[in-house]
Amino acid sequence: MDLFLQQLCNGLVIGSTYAVVALGFALAFSVLRVVHFAHPDIFMVGMFAGLVAANAVPWLALPIALLAGAAGAGLIGYAAERTIIGPLRGRDMLTTLIGTLGLSIVLQNGMALLVGPDPVPFPALLPRKFIDIGPVMLTLRQLADFALSLFLLALVSAFVRLTRTGRATRAIADRPDVAAAFGVDVPRVCQTTIVFASAVAGIAAVSVGTLYGSASAFVGLTYGLKAFTCMLVAGNRYVEGVVAVAFVLGIVEALVTGYVSSSMKDAAAFVVLIGVLYVRPSGLFGSYAT
Amino acid sequence: MLSFGFFEPVVIFTLLNVTMALGLYITAMSGQLSMATAAIAGVGGYLSGVLTVKFGVPFIPAVIAAMVAGGLVGGMLAVLTAKMRDFILKLTTLAFGEALSVLAFNWDYIGGANSFTGLKLETGLGTCLVAVLFALYVAWRFDGSRLGIAARAVRDDPLAAAAMGISVAALRVITFALGGAIVGMAGAVQAHYVLVISPSDLGFFVSLNYIIFLLFGGMQTMWGPILGAVLLTVLPEALRFAKEYRMIAYGAIIVAVVLWRPDGLVRRIPTGVTKRFMGVTFGRGLATRAPEMPVKAEPAR
Repeated sequence: MDLFLQQLCNGLVIGSTYAVVALGFALAFSVLRVVHFAHPDIFMVGMFAGLVAANAVPWLALPIALLAGAAGAGLIGYAAERTIIGPLRGRDMLTTLIGTLGLSIVLQNGMALLVGPDPVPFPALLPRKFIDIGPVMLTLRQLADFALSLFLLALVSAFVRLTRTGRATRAIADRPDVAAAFGVDVPRVCQTTIVFASAVAGIAAVSVGTLYGSASAFVGLTYGLKAFTCMLVAGNRYVEGVVAVAFVLGIVEALVTGYVSSSMKDAAAFVVLIGVLYVRPSGLFGSYAT
Repeated sequence: MLSFGFFEPVVIFTLLNVTMALGLYITAMSGQLSMATAAIAGVGGYLSGVLTVKFGVPFIPAVIAAMVAGGLVGGMLAVLTAKMRDFILKLTTLAFGEALSVLAFNWDYIGGANSFTGLKLETGLGTCLVAVLFALYVAWRFDGSRLGIAARAVRDDPLAAAAMGISVAALRVITFALGGAIVGMAGAVQAHYVLVISPSDLGFFVSLNYIIFLLFGGMQTMWGPILGAVLLTVLPEALRFAKEYRMIAYGAIIVAVVLWRPDGLVRRIPTGVTKRFMGVTFGRGLATRAPEMPVKAEPAR
C-alpha cells in the first residue's frame, strides 16, 4: 500500500510536467494547427537559460532562474514564430511539422555544441530535503515542482478562459476565417500564443532541472513524445482534458515502473493511444476540426 | 562488378533509402502518411533475420516473406486507422512503431535489448540495385494506373472521390499494403547488410527520417522522394567536413527548403501547362493539384 501511495505521488509529480509541456503542444496545435515539434526543445532552452542565470546571480538564484527560463524560452519561441511557424501558417500540417522538426534539430545540436552532448549538473536552487506526508516521503524539490506546475496549469487555463486574447485563441481554433471576420488579429494572437506557451514551458523547465539536478541538450526528447501522446489521447479542445490525461499517464507510468518493470512503461502509453484513437478518433474530450 | 570503394556504404544506403522512400510514397499517395515506416522495415528485418538465422531459410525466400509481412502490417494499419481523420492517422501509426520497438526490446527470442545479431552478409550493391529497380517499377506502374489516379483523388478529396464511385477504404488499404510490402522488402535487404537489428531502429525518429525525404523532395511525383532520399542521405556525409556543425547545417537546410519550397523540391506540373528548362519541354502527365491553388479546403461542418 505504501509503495502504491508513493508511486502515486511520484506519478503526479511526473504527470504535472507532462501536462505543462502537453499544453504548449495543444495550444499550438489548436490555434495555429501546427505540430510544434520544436516545443520540447524550447523547453530545453529555457532550462539552460535558467542554469546560466542561476550561476551568474547565485544570491537570488531561484526567482532569477525562473525569470530567465521564461525569457529565454519565450525569446526562442518568438523567433521560431517569426521565422518558421508564422510564414508557414495555413500550409499543410506536414510542411510545418518538418519546419519545426528542422528547428528542433538545430536547437538540440546547437545546444550540444555549446554545452557538450552529456548532461551537465544543474545548480541546486532548492535544498535537498525530505518531507514526510503520512506514509509517503517526497522531496522538497518534488513538492515545489508539483506546486509550480499546478500554478502554471492554472495560469494557462485562466489565459484561455478569462483573457480577451485567450478567447480569441479559442475562436481561431474553432474557425480562423470567422474569427478574422469578427476582427480578431489572427497573426498577432498566434504570436502571443506561441510566446506564452514557450515562456510557460521555460519556467517548468527550470523547475524540472532543479528536480533532477541535471540538464541536457536532449532532454526535450523525453518529454516531447509523451506530451504529444497526452495531447492526442485527450484531444485539443479542452485544456483541462489534456491536463487530466497527462496526470493519468504519469501515474500509470510510475505504477508500471513500481510493479512491473521500467522498460515496459513506454509501451503502455502507446498502446493506450492506439486504443483510444481507434474508439474515439478525435480524442477522449474532443478536438477542434482540422 | 561495379565498385565505389570507400563510398560503397553511402551508395548502398542511398539505394536502400530510395527504396524505402518509394514505399512510403505509394502509401502517401492516397493521403495517408505512415509514421511507422521504420517499424514495418523492422518487422521485415527481424522476420527475415529470424528466418535465415534460426531456420536456415535462403535469403531470397526470406526477403519475400518480409515483403508479405510488410504488406500485411501495412494493410492492418490502414484498417486500424480507417476511421481516423487523416492527420490523427499519421500520429497513431507513430504509436504503433513505438509500441513495436518496446515489444522488440522485451522479447528475448529476437535478441531483446541486445539486438538481433548473427545475420550473414547477403546484400551487396547488386541486391540493392535490384531492390531499387523493383520499387521503381512498382511505383512507376502504380503511378500511371487507374488505382494510382484513384489514390490521388482520394488524397485530394475523399468525399468527392467517394462520390465518383471510388472505395476510399479499400484504396487506402491497398496503397498502405503495397507501400508496406516495399518497405518490408527494403527492411529485409537492409538487415542483411547492416547485420544487426536493434529495437531502437523501429522507433519514431527513424520513421521521421523517411518522411523528411518525402517532404524535402516533394510528394506529388515519384521523383520527389527519390531526389529527397538521395540528397538527404548524401548530405550528412558531404557535410562531414563541418564536423560538429554538421547536424546544425542539416537542420538549417531542411528549414530553408521548407520555407523556400513548401511543396518540396520537385512539383507536379498541372495538365495543360508546359514548362521549358534549357530547351527541353516538361509538363506531360496528370495533374493532381496546381501548386498555386490554396492547399486546404475548409472542413465540412
